[in-house]
Amino acid sequence: MMRALLYAEKPSQLPELAGFAEKHGLEAYVLVFGSPDEVKKNSFKAFKRVYVAAAEKPTPDQLAETLVKLYDELRPSLVAAVAAKNNVDAGARLAAWKKIPMFTEATVVELAEDKITVKRQVLGGRAIARISSQLPAIVAIPAGVYSYSGDTGAETVEIEAPEPRIKVTAVEPKKHEAVNIEAAEVVVGVGRGFRKKEDLAMAEELAQILGGVVGGSRPVVADYGWLSEDRWIGISGKKIKPKLYIAIGISGASQHMAATLDSKIIVAINKDKNAPIFQYADYGVVADLYKFLPILIKKLREKLGK
Amino acid sequence: MPLNIAVLVKASLDPNMLRSKASREVDVDNTPLAISEYDKNAVEAAIQLRDKHGGKVVVVSALTWGPLAKRSREIEQVVREALAMGADEAHVIVDEALIPGDPGATAAALASLLQKLGGFDLYLTGEAAMDMMSSQVGARVAAILGIPFISYARELEYADGVVKVKRDLEDRLETVEAATPAVVSVTGEINKPRIPTLIQIRRAFRKPVKKYSLADIGAELPGKPSLEELRVVAVQRKNIIIEGESLEEIAEKLIDALIKEGVIKA
Ligand SMILES: Cc1cc2nc3c(=O)[nH]c(=O)nc-3n(C[C@H](O)[C@H](O)[C@H](O)COP(=O)(O)OP(=O)(O)OC[C@H]3O[C@@H](n4cnc5c(N)ncnc54)[C@H](O)[C@@H]3O)c2cc1C
Repeated sequence: MMRALLYAEKPSQLPELAGFAEKHGLEAYVLVFGSPDEVKKNSFKAFKRVYVAAAEKPTPDQLAETLVKLYDELRPSLVAAVAAKNNVDAGARLAAWKKIPMFTEATVVELAEDKITVKRQVLGGRAIARISSQLPAIVAIPAGVYSYSGDTGAETVEIEAPEPRIKVTAVEPKKHEAVNIEAAEVVVGVGRGFRKKEDLAMAEELAQILGGVVGGSRPVVADYGWLSEDRWIGISGKKIKPKLYIAIGISGASQHMAATLDSKIIVAINKDKNAPIFQYADYGVVADLYKFLPILIKKLREKLGK
Repeated sequence: MPLNIAVLVKASLDPNMLRSKASREVDVDNTPLAISEYDKNAVEAAIQLRDKHGGKVVVVSALTWGPLAKRSREIEQVVREALAMGADEAHVIVDEALIPGDPGATAAALASLLQKLGGFDLYLTGEAAMDMMSSQVGARVAAILGIPFISYARELEYADGVVKVKRDLEDRLETVEAATPAVVSVTGEINKPRIPTLIQIRRAFRKPVKKYSLADIGAELPGKPSLEELRVVAVQRKNIIIEGESLEEIAEKLIDALIKEGVIKA
Protein backbone atom coordinates (compact mmCIF):
# COMPACT_ATOMS: atom_id res chain seq x y z
CA MET A 1 0.00 0.00 0.00
CA MET A 2 1.25 3.42 -0.87
CA ARG A 3 1.59 5.73 2.09
CA ALA A 4 0.05 9.17 1.55
CA LEU A 5 -0.22 12.33 3.58
CA LEU A 6 -3.46 14.14 2.78
CA TYR A 7 -4.25 17.57 4.13
CA ALA A 8 -7.22 19.89 4.37
CA GLU A 9 -7.57 23.48 5.56
CA LYS A 10 -11.07 22.60 6.80
CA PRO A 11 -13.13 19.47 7.59
CA SER A 12 -15.53 19.95 4.66
CA GLN A 13 -12.73 18.86 2.30
CA LEU A 14 -12.38 15.47 4.03
CA PRO A 15 -15.01 13.52 2.05
CA GLU A 16 -13.19 14.37 -1.19
CA LEU A 17 -9.89 13.23 0.29
CA ALA A 18 -11.52 10.01 1.50
CA GLY A 19 -12.83 9.39 -2.01
CA PHE A 20 -9.35 9.96 -3.41
CA ALA A 21 -7.76 7.64 -0.81
CA GLU A 22 -10.31 4.93 -1.55
CA LYS A 23 -9.91 5.19 -5.31
CA HIS A 24 -6.16 4.78 -5.13
CA GLY A 25 -6.07 2.34 -2.22
CA LEU A 26 -3.84 4.59 -0.14
CA GLU A 27 -2.58 4.17 3.38
CA ALA A 28 -3.84 7.64 4.16
CA TYR A 29 -2.71 9.84 7.01
CA VAL A 30 -4.66 13.05 7.12
CA LEU A 31 -3.90 16.48 8.51
CA VAL A 32 -6.92 18.69 8.99
CA PHE A 33 -7.54 22.06 10.65
CA GLY A 34 -10.77 22.81 12.49
CA SER A 35 -12.71 21.80 15.57
CA PRO A 36 -12.13 18.21 16.74
CA ASP A 37 -15.91 17.63 16.98
CA GLU A 38 -16.44 18.70 13.41
CA VAL A 39 -13.57 16.49 12.31
CA LYS A 40 -14.99 13.40 14.09
CA LYS A 41 -18.01 13.63 11.78
CA ASN A 42 -15.66 13.31 8.81
CA SER A 43 -13.02 10.93 10.16
CA PHE A 44 -13.74 8.33 7.51
CA LYS A 45 -12.66 4.70 7.65
CA ALA A 46 -10.79 5.30 4.40
CA PHE A 47 -8.21 7.08 6.57
CA LYS A 48 -5.60 5.31 8.64
CA ARG A 49 -5.27 8.19 11.06
CA VAL A 50 -6.51 11.78 11.24
CA TYR A 51 -4.41 14.52 12.82
CA VAL A 52 -6.52 17.46 13.95
CA ALA A 53 -4.99 20.87 14.54
CA ALA A 54 -7.58 22.94 16.37
CA ALA A 55 -7.33 26.16 14.40
CA GLU A 56 -10.06 27.64 12.25
CA LYS A 57 -9.05 29.34 8.99
CA PRO A 58 -5.34 28.53 9.22
CA THR A 59 -2.92 30.70 7.27
CA PRO A 60 -0.86 28.93 4.59
CA ASP A 61 2.27 29.17 6.75
CA GLN A 62 0.49 27.37 9.60
CA LEU A 63 -0.66 24.70 7.15
CA ALA A 64 2.79 24.31 5.61
CA GLU A 65 4.71 24.14 8.87
CA THR A 66 2.44 21.49 10.34
CA LEU A 67 2.53 19.60 7.08
CA VAL A 68 6.31 19.47 6.90
CA LYS A 69 6.54 18.07 10.44
CA LEU A 70 4.19 15.22 9.58
CA TYR A 71 5.96 14.71 6.26
CA ASP A 72 9.27 14.19 8.03
CA GLU A 73 7.66 11.81 10.50
CA LEU A 74 5.66 9.72 8.02
CA ARG A 75 7.85 9.89 4.90
CA PRO A 76 4.90 9.47 2.51
CA SER A 77 5.25 8.70 -1.19
CA LEU A 78 2.40 11.03 -2.03
CA VAL A 79 0.98 14.24 -0.59
CA ALA A 80 -2.46 15.34 -1.74
CA ALA A 81 -5.05 18.04 -1.10
CA VAL A 82 -8.06 19.62 -2.72
CA ALA A 83 -6.94 22.47 -5.00
CA ALA A 84 -8.24 25.29 -2.81
CA LYS A 85 -6.11 28.43 -2.80
CA ASN A 86 -4.58 28.03 0.68
CA ASN A 87 -3.87 24.34 0.09
CA VAL A 88 -2.03 25.07 -3.15
CA ASP A 89 -0.07 27.85 -1.46
CA ALA A 90 0.99 25.57 1.42
CA GLY A 91 1.71 22.60 -0.85
CA ALA A 92 4.04 24.68 -3.02
CA ARG A 93 6.05 25.61 0.07
CA LEU A 94 6.38 21.99 1.14
CA ALA A 95 7.37 21.09 -2.42
CA ALA A 96 10.13 23.70 -2.35
CA TRP A 97 11.44 22.65 1.08
CA LYS A 98 11.52 18.98 0.06
CA LYS A 99 12.64 19.67 -3.54
CA ILE A 100 9.83 17.56 -4.94
CA PRO A 101 7.39 18.16 -7.81
CA MET A 102 3.86 19.38 -7.32
CA PHE A 103 0.97 19.17 -9.74
CA THR A 104 -1.77 21.76 -9.40
CA GLU A 105 -5.32 20.74 -10.38
CA ALA A 106 -4.52 17.25 -11.56
CA THR A 107 -7.77 16.08 -13.15
CA VAL A 108 -6.42 12.56 -13.66
CA VAL A 109 -3.95 10.89 -11.30
CA GLU A 110 -2.32 7.52 -11.98
CA LEU A 111 -0.04 5.92 -9.45
CA ALA A 112 2.44 3.12 -10.01
CA GLU A 113 4.97 1.78 -7.53
CA ASP A 114 7.37 4.71 -7.61
CA LYS A 115 5.86 6.86 -10.31
CA ILE A 116 3.02 9.31 -10.75
CA THR A 117 1.37 10.42 -13.98
CA VAL A 118 -1.14 13.24 -14.05
CA LYS A 119 -3.25 15.03 -16.59
CA ARG A 120 -3.84 18.73 -16.15
CA GLN A 121 -5.72 21.44 -17.96
CA VAL A 122 -3.24 24.02 -19.16
CA LEU A 123 -3.07 26.95 -21.58
CA GLY A 124 -6.23 28.49 -20.26
CA GLY A 125 -8.09 25.22 -20.55
CA ARG A 126 -7.34 24.91 -24.27
CA ALA A 127 -4.96 22.00 -23.83
CA ILE A 128 -4.31 18.98 -21.62
CA ALA A 129 -0.82 18.15 -20.43
CA ARG A 130 0.30 14.66 -19.41
CA ILE A 131 3.19 14.87 -16.99
CA SER A 132 4.96 12.14 -15.06
CA SER A 133 7.57 12.00 -12.37
CA GLN A 134 9.21 9.88 -9.73
CA LEU A 135 7.58 9.84 -6.30
CA PRO A 136 7.41 11.47 -3.81
CA ALA A 137 5.27 14.21 -5.26
CA ILE A 138 2.39 16.49 -4.31
CA VAL A 139 -0.93 16.70 -6.13
CA ALA A 140 -3.78 19.13 -5.75
CA ILE A 141 -7.00 17.55 -6.99
CA PRO A 142 -9.77 19.74 -8.40
CA ALA A 143 -12.68 20.32 -6.02
CA GLY A 144 -15.80 18.28 -6.62
CA VAL A 145 -14.27 15.28 -8.40
CA TYR A 146 -14.09 12.69 -5.62
CA SER A 147 -16.70 11.80 -3.02
CA TYR A 148 -17.10 9.21 -0.24
CA SER A 149 -20.04 7.67 1.52
CA GLY A 150 -18.35 5.12 3.82
CA ASP A 151 -18.36 5.00 7.59
CA THR A 152 -16.55 7.27 9.97
CA GLY A 153 -14.47 6.13 12.90
CA ALA A 154 -10.82 6.53 11.93
CA GLU A 155 -8.38 7.14 14.76
CA THR A 156 -8.05 10.87 15.44
CA VAL A 157 -5.08 12.49 17.13
CA GLU A 158 -5.09 16.08 18.27
CA ILE A 159 -1.96 18.04 17.49
CA GLU A 160 -0.87 21.57 18.09
CA ALA A 161 -1.09 24.26 15.42
CA PRO A 162 1.83 26.69 15.28
CA GLU A 163 1.21 30.41 15.69
CA PRO A 164 0.65 32.09 12.33
CA ARG A 165 3.69 34.02 11.13
CA ILE A 166 1.57 36.41 9.20
CA LYS A 167 -0.76 38.66 11.11
CA VAL A 168 -4.40 38.46 10.02
CA THR A 169 -5.99 41.79 10.90
CA ALA A 170 -9.43 41.47 9.29
CA VAL A 171 -11.67 38.87 7.66
CA GLU A 172 -14.62 39.74 5.45
CA PRO A 173 -16.87 36.87 4.38
CA LYS A 174 -18.04 36.84 0.77
CA LYS A 175 -21.70 36.90 -0.18
CA HIS A 176 -23.11 33.68 -1.51
CA GLU A 177 -26.32 33.06 -3.39
CA ALA A 178 -28.43 29.93 -3.58
CA VAL A 179 -27.92 29.67 -7.33
CA ASN A 180 -26.52 26.60 -9.05
CA ILE A 181 -25.25 27.74 -12.38
CA GLU A 182 -23.55 24.38 -12.97
CA ALA A 183 -26.93 22.65 -13.15
CA ALA A 184 -28.79 25.31 -15.18
CA GLU A 185 -30.32 24.37 -18.54
CA VAL A 186 -29.95 27.85 -19.95
CA VAL A 187 -27.19 30.25 -19.01
CA VAL A 188 -26.93 33.87 -20.14
CA GLY A 189 -23.32 35.00 -19.79
CA VAL A 190 -22.39 38.65 -19.44
CA GLY A 191 -18.98 40.18 -20.05
CA ARG A 192 -17.13 43.44 -20.08
CA GLY A 193 -19.21 44.55 -23.07
CA PHE A 194 -21.79 45.70 -20.51
CA ARG A 195 -21.04 49.24 -19.46
CA LYS A 196 -22.70 49.34 -16.06
CA LYS A 197 -24.31 47.09 -13.51
CA GLU A 198 -27.85 48.35 -14.18
CA ASP A 199 -27.56 47.20 -17.78
CA LEU A 200 -27.41 43.58 -16.60
CA ALA A 201 -31.19 43.90 -16.15
CA MET A 202 -31.43 43.13 -19.88
CA ALA A 203 -29.54 39.87 -19.39
CA GLU A 204 -31.70 39.00 -16.41
CA GLU A 205 -34.84 39.61 -18.42
CA LEU A 206 -33.52 37.37 -21.20
CA ALA A 207 -32.61 34.64 -18.69
CA GLN A 208 -36.03 34.88 -17.11
CA ILE A 209 -37.86 34.46 -20.42
CA LEU A 210 -35.75 31.38 -21.21
CA GLY A 211 -35.98 29.93 -17.71
CA GLY A 212 -32.26 30.32 -17.20
CA VAL A 213 -29.73 32.01 -14.95
CA VAL A 214 -27.22 34.80 -15.48
CA GLY A 215 -23.51 34.12 -15.15
CA GLY A 216 -20.49 36.24 -15.93
CA SER A 217 -16.89 36.45 -17.01
CA ARG A 218 -14.11 37.03 -14.53
CA PRO A 219 -13.90 40.83 -14.86
CA VAL A 220 -17.64 41.26 -14.35
CA VAL A 221 -17.58 39.09 -11.25
CA ALA A 222 -14.17 39.62 -9.69
CA ASP A 223 -13.20 43.09 -10.95
CA TYR A 224 -16.50 44.91 -10.80
CA GLY A 225 -18.34 42.71 -8.31
CA TRP A 226 -21.56 43.03 -10.34
CA LEU A 227 -22.35 39.36 -9.77
CA SER A 228 -21.55 37.04 -6.86
CA GLU A 229 -18.81 34.47 -7.30
CA ASP A 230 -21.43 31.72 -7.52
CA ARG A 231 -22.02 33.01 -11.05
CA TRP A 232 -18.39 33.17 -12.20
CA ILE A 233 -17.93 31.11 -15.38
CA GLY A 234 -14.44 29.88 -16.22
CA ILE A 235 -11.52 27.76 -15.22
CA SER A 236 -11.14 29.74 -12.00
CA GLY A 237 -14.90 29.78 -11.46
CA LYS A 238 -17.72 27.37 -12.33
CA LYS A 239 -17.97 24.91 -15.15
CA ILE A 240 -21.31 24.93 -16.96
CA LYS A 241 -23.04 22.40 -19.21
CA PRO A 242 -26.38 23.92 -20.23
CA LYS A 243 -28.43 23.12 -23.30
CA LEU A 244 -28.04 26.75 -24.30
CA TYR A 245 -25.30 29.23 -23.44
CA ILE A 246 -25.76 32.79 -24.70
CA ALA A 247 -22.54 34.77 -24.26
CA ILE A 248 -23.04 38.52 -24.52
CA GLY A 249 -20.24 41.08 -24.66
CA ILE A 250 -17.69 38.37 -23.88
CA SER A 251 -14.52 38.21 -25.98
CA GLY A 252 -14.04 34.44 -25.73
CA ALA A 253 -10.77 34.12 -23.81
CA SER A 254 -9.81 30.49 -23.44
CA GLN A 255 -10.02 30.66 -19.64
CA HIS A 256 -13.67 31.55 -19.96
CA MET A 257 -14.61 29.26 -22.83
CA ALA A 258 -12.92 26.16 -21.42
CA ALA A 259 -15.66 26.00 -18.79
CA THR A 260 -18.42 26.11 -21.41
CA LEU A 261 -17.27 23.39 -23.80
CA ASP A 262 -19.92 20.94 -22.62
CA SER A 263 -22.75 23.30 -23.57
CA LYS A 264 -25.03 21.85 -26.25
CA ILE A 265 -25.47 25.10 -28.18
CA ILE A 266 -23.43 28.28 -27.77
CA VAL A 267 -24.66 31.64 -29.05
CA ALA A 268 -22.33 34.64 -29.11
CA ILE A 269 -23.39 38.26 -29.30
CA ASN A 270 -20.48 40.63 -29.81
CA LYS A 271 -20.00 43.82 -31.76
CA ASP A 272 -16.50 42.86 -32.90
CA LYS A 273 -16.70 40.44 -35.82
CA ASN A 274 -13.13 39.30 -35.09
CA ALA A 275 -13.80 38.42 -31.45
CA PRO A 276 -12.42 34.93 -30.69
CA ILE A 277 -15.76 33.91 -29.21
CA PHE A 278 -17.19 33.32 -32.67
CA GLN A 279 -14.83 30.36 -33.09
CA TYR A 280 -16.43 28.79 -30.02
CA ALA A 281 -20.01 29.54 -31.05
CA ASP A 282 -22.66 27.63 -32.98
CA TYR A 283 -24.53 30.84 -33.75
CA GLY A 284 -23.00 34.28 -33.80
CA VAL A 285 -24.57 37.70 -33.96
CA VAL A 286 -22.29 40.61 -34.78
CA ALA A 287 -24.08 43.53 -33.16
CA ASP A 288 -24.02 46.07 -30.38
CA LEU A 289 -25.69 44.35 -27.45
CA TYR A 290 -27.39 47.60 -26.46
CA LYS A 291 -29.21 47.65 -29.78
CA PHE A 292 -29.72 43.92 -30.25
CA LEU A 293 -30.84 42.72 -26.82
CA PRO A 294 -34.01 44.85 -26.58
CA ILE A 295 -35.06 43.55 -30.00
CA LEU A 296 -34.23 39.94 -29.15
CA ILE A 297 -36.16 40.19 -25.90
CA LYS A 298 -39.19 41.70 -27.64
CA LYS A 299 -39.20 39.04 -30.38
CA LEU A 300 -38.78 36.23 -27.85
CA ARG A 301 -41.74 37.49 -25.89
CA GLU A 302 -43.82 37.49 -29.07
CA LYS A 303 -42.70 34.02 -30.17
CA LEU A 304 -42.80 32.32 -26.82
CA GLY A 305 -45.97 34.10 -25.80
CA LYS A 306 -44.50 35.41 -22.54
CA MET B 1 13.58 54.67 2.44
CA PRO B 2 13.53 53.65 -1.23
CA LEU B 3 11.79 50.42 -2.08
CA ASN B 4 13.59 47.96 -4.31
CA ILE B 5 11.19 45.57 -5.97
CA ALA B 6 11.81 42.47 -8.03
CA VAL B 7 8.97 41.32 -10.28
CA LEU B 8 8.86 37.68 -11.42
CA VAL B 9 7.52 37.65 -14.95
CA LYS B 10 6.86 34.67 -17.17
CA ALA B 11 7.17 34.57 -20.94
CA SER B 12 4.14 32.30 -21.37
CA LEU B 13 2.83 30.49 -24.38
CA ASP B 14 -0.11 32.65 -25.37
CA PRO B 15 -3.29 30.56 -25.01
CA ASN B 16 -5.15 32.89 -27.34
CA MET B 17 -2.59 32.37 -30.12
CA LEU B 18 -2.22 28.62 -29.81
CA ARG B 19 -0.94 26.70 -32.82
CA SER B 20 -1.52 22.99 -33.12
CA LYS B 21 -0.42 20.18 -35.38
CA ALA B 22 -2.70 17.78 -37.25
CA SER B 23 -2.13 15.30 -34.42
CA ARG B 24 -3.66 17.85 -32.00
CA GLU B 25 -0.29 18.20 -30.28
CA VAL B 26 0.30 21.83 -29.34
CA ASP B 27 2.79 23.26 -31.81
CA VAL B 28 4.94 24.74 -29.07
CA ASP B 29 7.68 25.95 -31.40
CA ASN B 30 5.27 28.11 -33.37
CA THR B 31 3.03 29.40 -30.60
CA PRO B 32 4.13 32.92 -29.65
CA LEU B 33 5.30 33.86 -26.18
CA ALA B 34 3.72 36.79 -24.37
CA ILE B 35 4.05 38.36 -20.97
CA SER B 36 1.72 36.42 -18.68
CA GLU B 37 -1.45 38.36 -17.98
CA TYR B 38 -1.32 38.60 -14.18
CA ASP B 39 2.41 39.28 -14.22
CA LYS B 40 1.49 42.54 -15.93
CA ASN B 41 -0.61 43.36 -12.89
CA ALA B 42 2.45 42.63 -10.74
CA VAL B 43 4.58 44.98 -12.88
CA GLU B 44 1.93 47.68 -12.59
CA ALA B 45 1.73 47.27 -8.80
CA ALA B 46 5.52 47.48 -8.56
CA ILE B 47 5.70 50.65 -10.66
CA GLN B 48 3.04 52.33 -8.55
CA LEU B 49 4.88 51.47 -5.33
CA ARG B 50 8.19 52.66 -6.72
CA ASP B 51 6.69 55.93 -7.90
CA LYS B 52 5.38 56.50 -4.40
CA HIS B 53 8.36 55.35 -2.32
CA GLY B 54 11.31 55.66 -4.69
CA GLY B 55 13.69 52.79 -5.45
CA LYS B 56 13.70 50.61 -8.53
CA VAL B 57 11.76 47.87 -10.28
CA VAL B 58 13.80 44.94 -11.52
CA VAL B 59 12.19 42.31 -13.76
CA VAL B 60 13.41 38.71 -13.59
CA SER B 61 12.37 35.89 -15.88
CA ALA B 62 13.43 32.37 -16.82
CA LEU B 63 12.90 30.95 -20.29
CA THR B 64 10.83 27.76 -20.05
CA TRP B 65 9.90 27.10 -23.68
CA GLY B 66 12.13 26.17 -26.60
CA PRO B 67 13.60 26.18 -29.15
CA LEU B 68 16.31 28.01 -27.28
CA ALA B 69 17.88 30.10 -30.06
CA LYS B 70 14.62 31.59 -31.29
CA ARG B 71 13.10 31.99 -27.83
CA SER B 72 16.18 33.66 -26.46
CA ARG B 73 15.31 36.67 -28.61
CA GLU B 74 11.61 36.36 -27.90
CA ILE B 75 11.97 36.46 -24.11
CA GLU B 76 13.88 39.69 -24.53
CA GLN B 77 10.90 41.21 -26.31
CA VAL B 78 8.60 39.95 -23.57
CA VAL B 79 10.55 41.59 -20.76
CA ARG B 80 10.88 44.75 -22.84
CA GLU B 81 7.14 45.08 -22.50
CA ALA B 82 7.58 45.34 -18.71
CA LEU B 83 10.42 47.81 -19.26
CA ALA B 84 8.18 49.88 -21.55
CA MET B 85 5.56 49.94 -18.79
CA GLY B 86 8.18 51.53 -16.57
CA ALA B 87 10.37 48.84 -14.99
CA ASP B 88 14.02 49.87 -14.73
CA GLU B 89 16.01 46.79 -15.72
CA ALA B 90 15.54 43.13 -16.62
CA HIS B 91 17.48 39.93 -15.96
CA VAL B 92 16.66 36.70 -17.76
CA ILE B 93 17.88 33.15 -17.41
CA VAL B 94 18.21 31.26 -20.67
CA ASP B 95 19.34 27.68 -20.30
CA GLU B 96 18.41 24.43 -22.03
CA ALA B 97 18.05 22.67 -18.66
CA LEU B 98 14.97 24.77 -17.84
CA ILE B 99 13.07 23.70 -20.99
CA PRO B 100 10.30 22.61 -20.84
CA GLY B 101 9.57 24.37 -17.59
CA ASP B 102 8.68 22.99 -14.21
CA PRO B 103 7.80 25.17 -11.22
CA GLY B 104 10.47 23.52 -9.05
CA ALA B 105 13.30 24.11 -11.49
CA THR B 106 12.11 27.60 -12.46
CA ALA B 107 11.81 28.70 -8.84
CA ALA B 108 15.24 27.31 -7.94
CA ALA B 109 16.80 29.19 -10.85
CA LEU B 110 14.96 32.45 -10.13
CA ALA B 111 15.81 32.26 -6.42
CA SER B 112 19.51 31.88 -7.26
CA LEU B 113 19.38 34.84 -9.62
CA LEU B 114 17.56 36.96 -7.03
CA GLN B 115 20.14 36.07 -4.40
CA LYS B 116 22.88 37.07 -6.79
CA LEU B 117 21.20 40.39 -7.60
CA GLY B 118 20.59 40.85 -3.88
CA GLY B 119 18.82 43.27 -1.63
CA PHE B 120 15.17 43.48 -2.62
CA ASP B 121 12.53 44.65 -0.18
CA LEU B 122 9.63 43.17 -2.05
CA TYR B 123 9.08 40.46 -4.66
CA LEU B 124 5.90 40.49 -6.75
CA THR B 125 4.44 38.00 -9.21
CA GLY B 126 1.10 37.05 -10.75
CA GLU B 127 -1.20 34.55 -9.02
CA ALA B 128 -0.65 32.05 -11.86
CA ALA B 129 0.98 32.05 -15.26
CA MET B 130 -1.47 32.00 -18.14
CA ASP B 131 0.08 28.91 -19.76
CA MET B 132 0.75 26.23 -17.13
CA MET B 133 -1.37 27.80 -14.36
CA SER B 134 0.63 26.16 -11.59
CA SER B 135 0.53 28.95 -8.96
CA GLN B 136 3.72 27.65 -7.41
CA VAL B 137 6.72 29.74 -8.38
CA GLY B 138 6.08 32.65 -5.99
CA ALA B 139 5.52 30.33 -3.03
CA ARG B 140 8.57 28.24 -3.89
CA VAL B 141 10.84 31.27 -4.29
CA ALA B 142 9.70 32.59 -0.89
CA ALA B 143 10.32 29.18 0.68
CA ILE B 144 13.83 28.99 -0.81
CA LEU B 145 14.66 32.56 0.27
CA GLY B 146 13.16 31.86 3.70
CA ILE B 147 10.88 34.90 3.70
CA PRO B 148 7.09 35.32 4.04
CA PHE B 149 4.81 34.60 1.10
CA ILE B 150 1.40 36.18 0.68
CA SER B 151 -0.76 34.85 -2.14
CA TYR B 152 -3.78 36.19 -4.06
CA ALA B 153 -3.36 39.89 -3.22
CA ARG B 154 -6.11 42.07 -4.63
CA GLU B 155 -4.97 45.12 -2.63
CA LEU B 156 -1.45 45.95 -1.57
CA GLU B 157 0.00 48.74 0.55
CA TYR B 158 3.46 49.31 1.87
CA ALA B 159 4.63 51.46 4.77
CA ASP B 160 7.71 51.38 6.99
CA GLY B 161 8.91 47.89 6.20
CA VAL B 162 5.45 46.28 6.38
CA VAL B 163 3.22 45.09 3.53
CA LYS B 164 -0.50 45.07 4.12
CA VAL B 165 -2.41 42.85 1.73
CA LYS B 166 -6.02 41.96 1.10
CA ARG B 167 -6.05 38.27 0.11
CA ASP B 168 -8.85 37.07 -2.15
CA LEU B 169 -9.88 33.55 -1.05
CA GLU B 170 -12.82 31.38 -2.13
CA ASP B 171 -15.08 32.31 0.76
CA ARG B 172 -13.54 35.44 2.28
CA LEU B 173 -11.26 38.43 1.94
CA GLU B 174 -8.48 38.33 4.49
CA THR B 175 -6.36 41.35 5.40
CA VAL B 176 -2.86 40.30 6.46
CA GLU B 177 0.39 42.01 7.34
CA ALA B 178 3.96 40.85 7.04
CA ALA B 179 7.37 42.40 7.47
CA THR B 180 9.44 42.82 4.33
CA PRO B 181 11.26 41.33 2.58
CA ALA B 182 8.32 39.25 1.42
CA VAL B 183 6.99 37.68 -1.77
CA VAL B 184 3.45 38.65 -2.81
CA SER B 185 1.40 37.16 -5.66
CA VAL B 186 -1.27 39.42 -7.11
CA THR B 187 -4.61 38.74 -8.80
CA GLY B 188 -5.90 40.35 -11.99
CA GLU B 189 -8.18 42.56 -9.93
CA ILE B 190 -5.45 44.49 -8.13
CA ASN B 191 -5.10 47.14 -10.86
CA LYS B 192 -5.36 47.88 -14.54
CA PRO B 193 -1.93 47.50 -16.16
CA ARG B 194 -0.91 50.60 -18.11
CA ILE B 195 -0.45 50.33 -21.87
CA PRO B 196 2.93 51.78 -22.82
CA THR B 197 3.07 54.60 -25.36
CA LEU B 198 5.18 54.36 -28.51
CA ILE B 199 7.81 56.62 -26.96
CA GLN B 200 7.99 54.41 -23.87
CA ILE B 201 8.36 51.33 -26.05
CA ARG B 202 11.23 52.97 -27.92
CA ARG B 203 12.89 54.08 -24.71
CA ALA B 204 12.66 50.57 -23.32
CA PHE B 205 15.22 49.48 -25.89
CA ARG B 206 17.81 51.55 -24.07
CA LYS B 207 17.15 49.86 -20.72
CA PRO B 208 19.44 46.97 -19.77
CA VAL B 209 18.42 43.34 -20.30
CA LYS B 210 21.02 40.93 -18.95
CA LYS B 211 21.13 37.24 -19.82
CA TYR B 212 22.44 34.42 -17.66
CA SER B 213 22.99 30.69 -17.95
CA LEU B 214 22.48 28.44 -14.92
CA ALA B 215 26.26 28.22 -14.58
CA ASP B 216 26.48 32.03 -14.38
CA ILE B 217 24.21 32.11 -11.36
CA GLY B 218 25.35 28.86 -9.79
CA ALA B 219 21.86 27.38 -9.59
CA GLU B 220 21.24 23.78 -8.65
CA LEU B 221 17.98 22.33 -9.92
CA PRO B 222 15.80 19.70 -8.26
CA GLY B 223 14.74 16.68 -10.37
CA LYS B 224 12.28 17.64 -13.08
CA PRO B 225 9.11 15.79 -14.07
CA SER B 226 8.73 15.03 -17.76
CA LEU B 227 6.13 16.67 -19.92
CA GLU B 228 4.98 13.73 -21.99
CA GLU B 229 2.16 15.19 -23.95
CA LEU B 230 0.53 18.55 -24.63
CA ARG B 231 -2.70 18.23 -26.59
CA VAL B 232 -5.23 20.77 -27.71
CA VAL B 233 -8.82 20.18 -26.63
CA ALA B 234 -10.93 19.84 -29.75
CA VAL B 235 -13.70 22.39 -30.21
CA GLN B 236 -16.32 21.57 -32.79
CA ARG B 237 -19.00 24.16 -33.28
CA LYS B 238 -21.23 25.18 -36.15
CA ASN B 239 -19.73 28.70 -36.42
CA ILE B 240 -22.77 30.14 -38.21
CA ILE B 241 -22.88 33.94 -38.28
CA ILE B 242 -26.50 35.03 -38.57
CA GLU B 243 -26.94 37.82 -41.05
CA GLY B 244 -29.90 39.88 -42.16
CA GLU B 245 -31.18 43.22 -43.41
CA SER B 246 -32.06 44.40 -39.93
CA LEU B 247 -31.51 43.43 -36.31
CA GLU B 248 -35.18 42.36 -36.24
CA GLU B 249 -34.56 39.87 -38.98
CA ILE B 250 -31.40 38.60 -37.29
CA ALA B 251 -33.26 38.15 -33.99
CA GLU B 252 -36.00 36.18 -35.73
CA LYS B 253 -33.53 33.96 -37.53
CA LEU B 254 -31.68 33.30 -34.29
CA ILE B 255 -34.87 32.37 -32.44
CA ASP B 256 -35.93 30.06 -35.26
CA ALA B 257 -32.56 28.36 -35.24
CA LEU B 258 -32.70 27.80 -31.48
CA ILE B 259 -36.21 26.40 -31.71
CA LYS B 260 -35.02 24.01 -34.42
CA GLU B 261 -32.11 22.95 -32.23
CA GLY B 262 -34.65 22.15 -29.53
CA VAL B 263 -32.97 24.34 -26.94
CA ILE B 264 -35.85 26.78 -26.60
CA LYS B 265 -39.54 26.05 -26.89
CA ALA B 266 -42.01 28.06 -28.96
C1 LIG C 1 -4.95 32.12 -15.07
C2 LIG C 1 -6.17 32.86 -15.59
C3 LIG C 1 -7.42 32.44 -15.19
C4 LIG C 1 -8.58 33.07 -15.68
N1 LIG C 1 -9.80 32.59 -15.30
C5 LIG C 1 -10.91 33.13 -15.86
C6 LIG C 1 -12.22 32.59 -15.59
O1 LIG C 1 -12.37 31.66 -14.81
N2 LIG C 1 -13.29 33.18 -16.20
C7 LIG C 1 -13.17 34.23 -17.06
O2 LIG C 1 -14.20 34.69 -17.59
N3 LIG C 1 -11.97 34.75 -17.31
C8 LIG C 1 -10.83 34.24 -16.74
N4 LIG C 1 -9.63 34.80 -17.02
C9 LIG C 1 -9.60 36.09 -17.74
C10 LIG C 1 -9.70 35.93 -19.23
O3 LIG C 1 -8.41 35.73 -19.79
C11 LIG C 1 -10.30 37.21 -19.86
O4 LIG C 1 -9.55 38.32 -19.44
C12 LIG C 1 -11.76 37.43 -19.51
O5 LIG C 1 -12.52 36.25 -19.70
C13 LIG C 1 -12.30 38.55 -20.37
O6 LIG C 1 -13.63 38.84 -19.99
P1 LIG C 1 -14.63 39.50 -21.02
O7 LIG C 1 -14.74 38.67 -22.23
O8 LIG C 1 -15.88 39.80 -20.27
O9 LIG C 1 -13.96 40.92 -21.33
P2 LIG C 1 -13.19 41.43 -22.60
O10 LIG C 1 -12.13 40.51 -23.02
O11 LIG C 1 -12.85 42.84 -22.32
O12 LIG C 1 -14.27 41.38 -23.75
C14 LIG C 1 -15.36 42.23 -23.89
C15 LIG C 1 -16.02 41.95 -25.21
O13 LIG C 1 -17.21 42.69 -25.30
C16 LIG C 1 -17.34 43.17 -26.62
N5 LIG C 1 -18.19 44.37 -26.54
C17 LIG C 1 -17.88 45.57 -26.00
N6 LIG C 1 -18.92 46.40 -26.08
C18 LIG C 1 -19.92 45.71 -26.67
C19 LIG C 1 -21.26 46.03 -27.04
N7 LIG C 1 -21.77 47.24 -26.80
N8 LIG C 1 -21.99 45.08 -27.65
C20 LIG C 1 -21.47 43.87 -27.90
N9 LIG C 1 -20.23 43.51 -27.57
C21 LIG C 1 -19.46 44.41 -26.96
C22 LIG C 1 -15.96 43.44 -27.09
O14 LIG C 1 -15.90 43.38 -28.50
C23 LIG C 1 -15.16 42.32 -26.42
O15 LIG C 1 -15.06 41.21 -27.27
C24 LIG C 1 -8.47 34.18 -16.54
C25 LIG C 1 -7.21 34.62 -16.92
C26 LIG C 1 -6.06 33.97 -16.47
C27 LIG C 1 -4.73 34.48 -16.93
